[in-house]
Amino acid sequence: MNRILNWFRLRRLEDDLDRELQYHIDSRVADLIHSGLTEPDARRRAALELGGVTQVREEVRDVWLNRWIRDFVYDLRFSVRSLLRSPVFTATAVLSIALGIGATTALYSLLDQIVLRALPVDQPERLVLFDWIGFQYAETLGTDNLMSYPICRDLQQQKEFFDGVFCRAATTINFSTGGEPRLTAAELVSGTYFSVLGVRPALGRLLTIDDDQTPAASPVVVLSYDFWRNQFGGAQDIVGRKVLVNQHPMTVVGVAAPTFHGIDVGEVPSVWIPAVMSAQAIPGFETMLDRRTRWVQILGRLKQNVSLAQAQTALQPWFKAMLNEDMRSTNISSASAENRRQFLASTLALTPAPQGHSVLRNNLSRPLWVLFLGTGVLLALACLNVAGLFLARGSARHREISTRLALGASRARIGRQLLADSVLLAFAGGLLGVVMAPIAVRALIAFLPHNTAANDLQANVDTRLLLFAFFVSLLTGFLAGSAPALQAGRKSLDTSLRERGGTSSGGLALRRAIVTAQIAFTLILVIAAGLFVRTLSGLLVKGPGFDTSSLISFGIKPALNGYSGGEESRLIRRITEGLHESSSVQASSIALVQLLVGGPWSNSLTIQSGDRFTTDREVQMNAVSPGFFETLGARTVAGRDFNEHDSLDVALVNQSLPVSKNGQRVVIVNEAFVKRYFGGRSPLGARIAMGSQPDAKPDTEIIGVVQNISYRNVREQWEQAYFPIGTELSGSNFYVRFRGTPESAFRSIREILRNADPALPIVYFRTLDEQIDRSLNTERMLSALSSSFGALALLLSLVGLYGVMSFIVTQRTREIGIRLVLGATGLSAVWLVLRDALVMIAGGIAIALPCVWLLGRLVESQLYDVKPTDPVTILAATLVLCATALGAALIPACRAAAVNPTEALRFE
Amino acid sequence: MPSSRFPIPQGTLDMLILQILSLQPAHGYGIAQRLEQVSKSVVQVNQGSLYPALHRLEQRGWLVADWKESETGREAKFYSLTRSGQKQLRVEKDSWDRLTGAVQLIFDERASR
Repeated sequence: MNRILNWFRLRRLEDDLDRELQYHIDSRVADLIHSGLTEPDARRRAALELGGVTQVREEVRDVWLNRWIRDFVYDLRFSVRSLLRSPVFTATAVLSIALGIGATTALYSLLDQIVLRALPVDQPERLVLFDWIGFQYAETLGTDNLMSYPICRDLQQQKEFFDGVFCRAATTINFSTGGEPRLTAAELVSGTYFSVLGVRPALGRLLTIDDDQTPAASPVVVLSYDFWRNQFGGAQDIVGRKVLVNQHPMTVVGVAAPTFHGIDVGEVPSVWIPAVMSAQAIPGFETMLDRRTRWVQILGRLKQNVSLAQAQTALQPWFKAMLNEDMRSTNISSASAENRRQFLASTLALTPAPQGHSVLRNNLSRPLWVLFLGTGVLLALACLNVAGLFLARGSARHREISTRLALGASRARIGRQLLADSVLLAFAGGLLGVVMAPIAVRALIAFLPHNTAANDLQANVDTRLLLFAFFVSLLTGFLAGSAPALQAGRKSLDTSLRERGGTSSGGLALRRAIVTAQIAFTLILVIAAGLFVRTLSGLLVKGPGFDTSSLISFGIKPALNGYSGGEESRLIRRITEGLHESSSVQASSIALVQLLVGGPWSNSLTIQSGDRFTTDREVQMNAVSPGFFETLGARTVAGRDFNEHDSLDVALVNQSLPVSKNGQRVVIVNEAFVKRYFGGRSPLGARIAMGSQPDAKPDTEIIGVVQNISYRNVREQWEQAYFPIGTELSGSNFYVRFRGTPESAFRSIREILRNADPALPIVYFRTLDEQIDRSLNTERMLSALSSSFGALALLLSLVGLYGVMSFIVTQRTREIGIRLVLGATGLSAVWLVLRDALVMIAGGIAIALPCVWLLGRLVESQLYDVKPTDPVTILAATLVLCATALGAALIPACRAAAVNPTEALRFE
Repeated sequence: MPSSRFPIPQGTLDMLILQILSLQPAHGYGIAQRLEQVSKSVVQVNQGSLYPALHRLEQRGWLVADWKESETGREAKFYSLTRSGQKQLRVEKDSWDRLTGAVQLIFDERASR
């Protein structure tokens, strides 16, 4: 440590030492003169006794700084000077490294924030997530790792394994402080949430067990620190204030610590509400205590001396007992034998959850790892490029290095000097990369889905990121520099000095190997880019199955503004009439479930058509108004659409099927459904029932078949069943086919909504084109990034190949000249050079293809309609690579053909 | 003349410097003179190796240095022992005693035979 400090105060230390030694000499001289010597004799004697001032100074310097550090500092100084002398070389190298490090750092930043970083709570490593593996036989609200609230309360009793267990569910509420309400991200949490996480309040108090006892009895909320600062200006008297959550009065009891942003990096809540208030926070949700409704994620904190595996094993008997108890006490007994078997075969899994729970992470961690791997390959390419450049420069500096060796420098010392060059370059590149990284991160964040809840992602460069970039730069420097450094240490001095300028072999074999590796890496990246681009274009060509142009969708949630069922249906009717009258609206209709956002309503069906059978997997369902398919532009393949008589008054869609006014129940299915369950025969007239229970009555007639349209996302093609929408449904999604520009349509629809109710919460409002874009975010990110990686890789390896080929041509100028004199044609000279390039290219391809085969499994799940080993893509990518590589090799090759034999022979 | 003096044994210079400074603070030249006097010109100290040693001891925190006016009126760099320097001196003296004691024992054994 002291020694590093010394480096900074070197000047002062040197001055001190000079004064000290001067004092010594002066005193000695004075003493010697005193004892009778003449002054010149005294001076000579004093200097002799000291053994040379310079020598002493050197030795003392070695005490201050390690010899190694000191040499390294000198090396760096020398490197700076020599690098500045060849600016083109330096700029190329620094830029390649900056690209590699910038990309890697940007991807690492996202990976760190979304996938790796632990929650800012006490001992996050002991947090675990509970997950039900198997068939829950429960209604679903939300996505990913859901369970019922009573299971959380059961788990809280398992005190010998856990310090505490909590549950949470993300939702959106209509939040108001008396003025205009706005949609706000909230988290419904058990009373144990804050205490188990170990979060402290910034103001007031946090939620406790007492706030989570009786349904509807605890109208209290905790605000997030940022929300308190932004919405309440950080008011000190916030505790005790009344606020309205979906028009229900509640009291603010506290503000959470500033560092705590919830447990989901993708959805940051502004407000925390006790789970017992779920009926108020999610209008129409009355089944909080139902064991057959799954809507919360459950997490726990392991006790200090309990391992995850121990807890998981020990919980299984309790879990099995619970399954049996559920079987007796809930409606599972009426399920089909197969479903009951699946239910009883369920197990409880515990997974480490130091990062909390995040749907964003579940969806993105695979793509992010794949991209991070891509940047790693890109960085390796940049390293190879710089190594190649160094080798080229090394052969140019050959004579300098040989001279230094001849003057007595050790080979290790020269190698270290070359290493200092590359480390310095790597740090310059790393610095530039770190400057570029935040820009890249910002662009990457724009690819991610965004909703009401903000995500917690930042484009800042923090210490972690700097450390990462530092180590990557160091590694890059060593990797790029080790090849030339080793090379420098190998050659025999004797032959080097005797070599003529321009004819040294300069590690040609090594440079060939480097270019071959570069071509292999590049081919891998280009193939990956091809696969992802084909995936995206395949999905875009497939589309959602309907015409998205001139189509707008919006969703309203009247219940969040205090509307009761009857009021809500009147409001929806008012809006529908407004839309019908508007001149900019061509057609409009309503769906119960929004399309293309991943949220499904699904269930098994029992089908009666001659024989009776149940669907082998859940069918996706939606309820729509008459004219829905026409509005979307989806064809009705057979039968008819719903009409006004099919529109019904039904509340519980899931329990029983809608009954029409004339007592007939009807359903429309899609082509995929017909294909899977009717083998292409006409299903019209067949009857179905909701669920797979033996006592289900198939009394709903299939009246139509519609073409396949996308439901959860563009990728998936699934069996679908559509029911006529009831009028007492909470929340509605409108689909509007408009005339004219989207802007004017947006304006007139907003006007209609304002007239209906100015304070109506609008959940979303966008064109279907934008909706598709959003649903393809990940694919878009993968294809855009992999394409740019591929292009950069091509560029880097072209530079490498071109460099080596030019070098080879220069080296063989004499030989080519002689061949030409002896009667070889220019064409054969070109071939002579190209053959070299072809060997490298073929070698690269031979290395890359098995790697593609191995890596394919990593990306398989991200692809659509194309296999990782798709021959067309691989062939196309190989052709692109060969064409560009040969192009790069052709320029030096032509130069070889143009060699003037006389000049070539005179050349040195 | 130099041939009649012993070169100083390896590793003992540090101990001698610590010992001299344990009596009173001194500057580099002063220490050189003191070494010369007390060892009655028997032990030869290469003055050139004195300064690296001083700086090494300072680096280890056993000495502190201070610029003060010397007996000639000029500013000189005075070294003095720190607490950990005193401790180190005790340790080195102890091990020196043990070493010389052991060597003496071996000699005595041969003499008594």
